[in-house]
Amino acid sequence: MTEATVATTQDSAGVLIKPKMPSSDGKADLLIAMQNIWKTYDMGAEKVHALHGVSFEVRRGEYLAITGPSGSGKSTLMNLIGCLDTPSQGDYWLNGKNVSEMDDDELARIRNQEVGFVFQTFNLLARATALHNVELPLIYGGVPGAKRHEMAKQALSEVDLTDRMMHRPNELSGGQRQRVAIARALVNHPSILLADEPTGALDTATSYEIMNLFQKLHDEGNTIILVTHEHDIAARAHRVISIRDGLIEKDEQIR
Amino acid sequence: MFPRSESQLNPPLEQTVQRRIILPAKVRSLSFLRIAAVWEAFLVALSSLRQNKLRTGLTLIGIIVGVTAVIAVVTIIKGLDQTVAQTFSSQGSTVFTVSKRPRVITSREDFIKFNKRKDITEDDAQAIFRLCNVCWRSGVAANDAVPVKRGNQKADAIALRAIAPTAMFDIDAVAIDAGRFWSETEGASGQAVCVVGSDIITNFFPYETPDQAVGQDLWAGGHRYRIVGVLQPLGKIFGVSRDERIFIPFATYKKDYGLNIVRGTFNTSGSLVVFVQTESSDQLESAEDQVRAVMRNRRGKTFKDEDDGFALETEDVFLNLYSKATSNIYLVTIGVAAISLVVGGIVVMNIMLVSVTERTKEIGIRKAVGARRKDIMTQFLIEAVMVTAIGGAFGVLTGFGTAWLIALAIGFPLLFSVWSAALGVGVSSIVGVISGLWPAWRAAKLDPIEALRAE
Repeated sequence: MTEATVATTQDSAGVLIKPKMPSSDGKADLLIAMQNIWKTYDMGAEKVHALHGVSFEVRRGEYLAITGPSGSGKSTLMNLIGCLDTPSQGDYWLNGKNVSEMDDDELARIRNQEVGFVFQTFNLLARATALHNVELPLIYGGVPGAKRHEMAKQALSEVDLTDRMMHRPNELSGGQRQRVAIARALVNHPSILLADEPTGALDTATSYEIMNLFQKLHDEGNTIILVTHEHDIAARAHRVISIRDGLIEKDEQIR
Repeated sequence: MFPRSESQLNPPLEQTVQRRIILPAKVRSLSFLRIAAVWEAFLVALSSLRQNKLRTGLTLIGIIVGVTAVIAVVTIIKGLDQTVAQTFSSQGSTVFTVSKRPRVITSREDFIKFNKRKDITEDDAQAIFRLCNVCWRSGVAANDAVPVKRGNQKADAIALRAIAPTAMFDIDAVAIDAGRFWSETEGASGQAVCVVGSDIITNFFPYETPDQAVGQDLWAGGHRYRIVGVLQPLGKIFGVSRDERIFIPFATYKKDYGLNIVRGTFNTSGSLVVFVQTESSDQLESAEDQVRAVMRNRRGKTFKDEDDGFALETEDVFLNLYSKATSNIYLVTIGVAAISLVVGGIVVMNIMLVSVTERTKEIGIRKAVGARRKDIMTQFLIEAVMVTAIGGAFGVLTGFGTAWLIALAIGFPLLFSVWSAALGVGVSSIVGVISGLWPAWRAAKLDPIEALRAE
């Protein structure tokens, strides 16, 4: 199916096509639809294709891992999924919205409402308490103060950090920091939880603990996308997409 | 392939929206709820400024200097305005003077020219009194500076003012505190009497009240005078006391010192000043015309002569000069303030650019979790405005402080105006907005991916 889509669009390259949202055919559980996504970087005289024609779909509630060696284009793909960037070509539908045509502020809104990020280096605000870090998406979502506190506390309790709410990141261990980051990602009830090498900066025991947390969150119905180059981490997911040289090499259901 | 039932795991779209409606989209887009983001920006700005106290302080200096200058000058001039208005309105707009030289001479050439003029003599005064029928009261004054001595207390040059008739006290707008003015008879017969300003008592009779000083003797210019009266204090103007002077009858002065003896460059002892007062200010102009005609005639001036050969002035001359001087001071101050605000603004812009660079990662994080361009923009603008507004507030305080110190030194009423304080803070806030715009814009349009990669 993947190859077929690629072929079609390569034929009609240059022609403006306005595809319909795939869910219109009745698949209401379809969360992500990537249709022939290209990402091209202009490096002066040369054009570098980070992705050339990637297509796949993700349904609500999936636990997906995206793997690939460095330089394979998996980071580029993650940035696109997370709406930090838009594709050079192709369409990306997220929860019924065509993200590929959005401007900066619309993307910010989508990130705020639909995507929860978990980063390798946690990316917490150093000067803010755990609670404030978790509140951050709600602040930009315009949630009033009292409601915001309540939701942030709820999210922190989901990651077992109720007793560390008023601590700053430098007063927390790596695992605790990552759990704060996960709480921040969850607090706005996003459509997808997008984790980029979430265990990359953690020791084995803590990695295990974090992966268990992801498992628990998936069991609770969250859609999770892991980006990792570690096979044992990817093996915890239910479906693995392997990227190589800007193309999907393998897309297999392992569980 | 999926661990749970279809209905549980993949709720229909409607239901999903329902689940997320804890924060209804409609409510989220309402602009008043952006207050949360603005408040966040405010707190972040505050903590950032607190974090970098030294840097913030140094950034503030330019703004503080500019605002201080404006506030100090405005406050001082407002105070002086009031002093000047009170001083000159005391003589009223019914008085004008005829003298050899104008009171204010702005160039050396003028000074030489005016010095070549004929002195105003008693004959001139008599002619004015006789021929001016619109004039109500008039008098002559001779000003001198003489050494004064009383016991061990000595001073080299005290202002001596010889006047006639006693109506000149009224024209001079002085009032008696203790004792009395000399009588018309005493004055006309050249008695050795004097009326002194309050500072004379303070300086020469330190242990006596004005009442006790009355009747005692004072040596001025080698002559002995009996004090018959002490004047109420007039206060200072531009830091110069108006109470350190001695009044003696004109006839006494003529007897003791003689006329037409120039004892110094600046005293007018050789030349008199004629004072003329009309009954109402409406008559002032016609009185001036009459006196000018009389005097030009006496100086042998025809229509062709531009120069009168004497100076006919009302107090307005002084007021005009004063307002011209203060408007120049205002202009210079505005210039100084503008320059320091521009420099201050550039410093703020520079610091904000540094701040944006330092916090690139933070901007990336904020953008990743949904901060829009205008949220980031607001954050840095608020920070810039906060710096400059604090600078402005400090400037207002130091400006008022400076004005207060100067008021203390030279003595004028202090008028703190809320208006100038608001202007000081307002203008510096505007400087903040202007100098914060570009850094804030740079922060706002940072690419979140790049920003997150920053360390």
